[in-house]
Amino acid sequence: MSIARRHLLALPALLSASPLLAQGAPVKVGTLLPLTGVAASAGGSAKAAIELAVELINTPQPDLASMPLMATSGFPGLGGRPLQVVIADQQGSPSVAQNQALRLITQERVVAITNGYQSGLVQTASAIAERHGIPYVTGEAVATNLTERGFRWFFRTTPIGPDIAAIYVEFLQSARVNGRPVTKVAIVNENTEYGTSIAEVIRRTAEARGIGIALQIPYAANSADVSAQVLQLKDAQPDVAIFISYTSDAILYARTMRAQGYRPPILIGDNSGFSDDNFVQTAGDIAQGIINRSAFDPSRPGSNSFKVNALYKARTGREMDDTTARIMQGFLVTCDAINRAGATEPAAIQKALRETNLDAGQLMIGYRGVKFDEKGQNSMASVLLVQLRGREYISVWPEATATAPLQLPYKGWE
Amino acid sequence: MSAATIPTAPRAAGRWVLGVAALAALLAWPLLVEDEFIQRIGALVMLSALSASAWNLVGGYAGQISIGHVLFFGCGAYASLLGFTWFEWAPILGAPFGIATSLLLALIVGSPTLRLKGHYFSMATIALAELARIVVVNTPALGGAVGVSGPAMPRSVLDLSFISPLPYYYIFGSVLAVLLLFTWWMSRGRMGFYLRAIRGQERAARSLGVPAQRYKLFALLVSAAFTSLTGSLYAAMLGFVDPDSGLGILLSVKMVIAAALGGAGTLFGPLVGSAILVPLEEMTNAAFGGGGTGITYVVYGAIIVLISRFAPGGLAEIWTWLRARGTRRGG
Repeated sequence: MSIARRHLLALPALLSASPLLAQGAPVKVGTLLPLTGVAASAGGSAKAAIELAVELINTPQPDLASMPLMATSGFPGLGGRPLQVVIADQQGSPSVAQNQALRLITQERVVAITNGYQSGLVQTASAIAERHGIPYVTGEAVATNLTERGFRWFFRTTPIGPDIAAIYVEFLQSARVNGRPVTKVAIVNENTEYGTSIAEVIRRTAEARGIGIALQIPYAANSADVSAQVLQLKDAQPDVAIFISYTSDAILYARTMRAQGYRPPILIGDNSGFSDDNFVQTAGDIAQGIINRSAFDPSRPGSNSFKVNALYKARTGREMDDTTARIMQGFLVTCDAINRAGATEPAAIQKALRETNLDAGQLMIGYRGVKFDEKGQNSMASVLLVQLRGREYISVWPEATATAPLQLPYKGWE
Repeated sequence: MSAATIPTAPRAAGRWVLGVAALAALLAWPLLVEDEFIQRIGALVMLSALSASAWNLVGGYAGQISIGHVLFFGCGAYASLLGFTWFEWAPILGAPFGIATSLLLALIVGSPTLRLKGHYFSMATIALAELARIVVVNTPALGGAVGVSGPAMPRSVLDLSFISPLPYYYIFGSVLAVLLLFTWWMSRGRMGFYLRAIRGQERAARSLGVPAQRYKLFALLVSAAFTSLTGSLYAAMLGFVDPDSGLGILLSVKMVIAAALGGAGTLFGPLVGSAILVPLEEMTNAAFGGGGTGITYVVYGAIIVLISRFAPGGLAEIWTWLRARGTRRGG
């Protein structure tokens, strides 16, 4: 493309950001989200969070001054240039994700790409970024293999399978059902990458620590009926049922269990679907006491999580869920690295990402910190367990950081 | 028909000039555009034209509407990436195995159902494709619902892993050229006339001695082989396939729509259809960003309605009609 045309293409963007022109041209970051397809609901929440992040970075936020880039406007390391995000819809398709990654790099000239949501799509999109030498940061995709590919431009802030399995198993080892230790665990997982990989890592971790998985039920997330699966659980009578589901199937399970009057002593709903505000609003009343993992606990007033959640709620009318918070944190870490790089060259940003060393106080989420290992995985990522009370998840385990004591057995609709 | 095949000398010369100019434009334009995203859309147009042209052999020329062609596409894509996963082969080396599997499946689905009249063939193809998807979802050795990946980093040029979309454009374009040459050769020969006769009125064709069953099956086999090769090329470029992207019914539908929009049963119809649909799909996404979500599918739906209502023969029909009007006015 000729230089003249490139400038013409950039013109609308410049015009729309004209009040910011004084500080220089905006720095563009590309974000891939699922705005259509099965994950559109989560994509919508994430989009609002990313837009909130841009606003927070571009305007001074003295209230959040402990987090990088909040006290100032734009990127101080780049002479105050403002941030501009280009959000692209990956439509839930690996091919579209790759096309859009290429468009962000070659047409929008973004300095980094973030997020991506589904692991399979992050895989194809990040391959394009790797070939073009552009940093790719995901804050939410959990498939273990993503950081096992030997990529040099790929970074991940979220806790992954082994971190998640560890907390569940530690919890199950300490939990008591009718005064005796947990012996019989059932896993019900949706059968794509997310459900399969999490189920597998929980099984391995549990068996390594002497807790057997008595029953595993994989199912398709788009099923219209799950009564057969619930009947199977009812027959097996496990001490603990662990569900790994997306939103619509999570709601369907809660309703089917209510209809069949089945309640396991301990019910764990892993993150994705169960954290979605749609689940809490639609099925929360019949899933009281469900235990979930989360890295995001907005229940302590004064914490960064609390403040960011309040801003998000003012904007959208909804609570920020864990997945959305992890997405936003991944995006913020990327912006912090761009600022520290002091330049928009990809290599400088890559170097800054590798040198990232944020402590817990500089985050909006409950990780111990952000520091990438040689594979690009955040070695300080961690999770805690939360329990649904009313329409809110409250942190209950580990006890040291808990806001409220754990309540067992699972109440459901009572 | 005969009038078209024996053109007068000056008109034939004009056609040659037009053809050479079109070919030169197809070869040259990606080099003139520096924008890689546009080049990539060009490569995707070629890929879509490949699968739609392969479908066109059996769906357009022979009039046997398959809505399960993704089955063959999936065979190719999975053979490529499973070859890598199991034996660390370059993805494209799996292509012959994909083609072999596709031919076998085409025989299985075609032999019984092509004997039947009407929609049984369409139904059987849908059923088999969905069956294959469900089997793959539930078979961990085939990647299950998670899918299979290609090499994370290119190891040699055989991996067909390029930074620039240009090599893909020319590779896909070359295969398309071979397929179109075959189609052209076939449509002018005995087989082409047989297939059109079958499409027109199968019973009449049979009574004139056309071995309908054999020719329909042959068209299906060639079509399956090329569709499978398209799948392998797709997998080599993308490096990832899962049941939805490799065996989802939407892909079958896209092949049908691209061919029908351009003109099913015409040589260049699928290419024209793809050249309209693929950019439309990518550009709407770019233009609306996060705003106009789902607009692509609205456009798809509108196109289906408009074609079936006003031009069941696709754009080729409109073109023929316009030319006929022009000739009448001119003469």
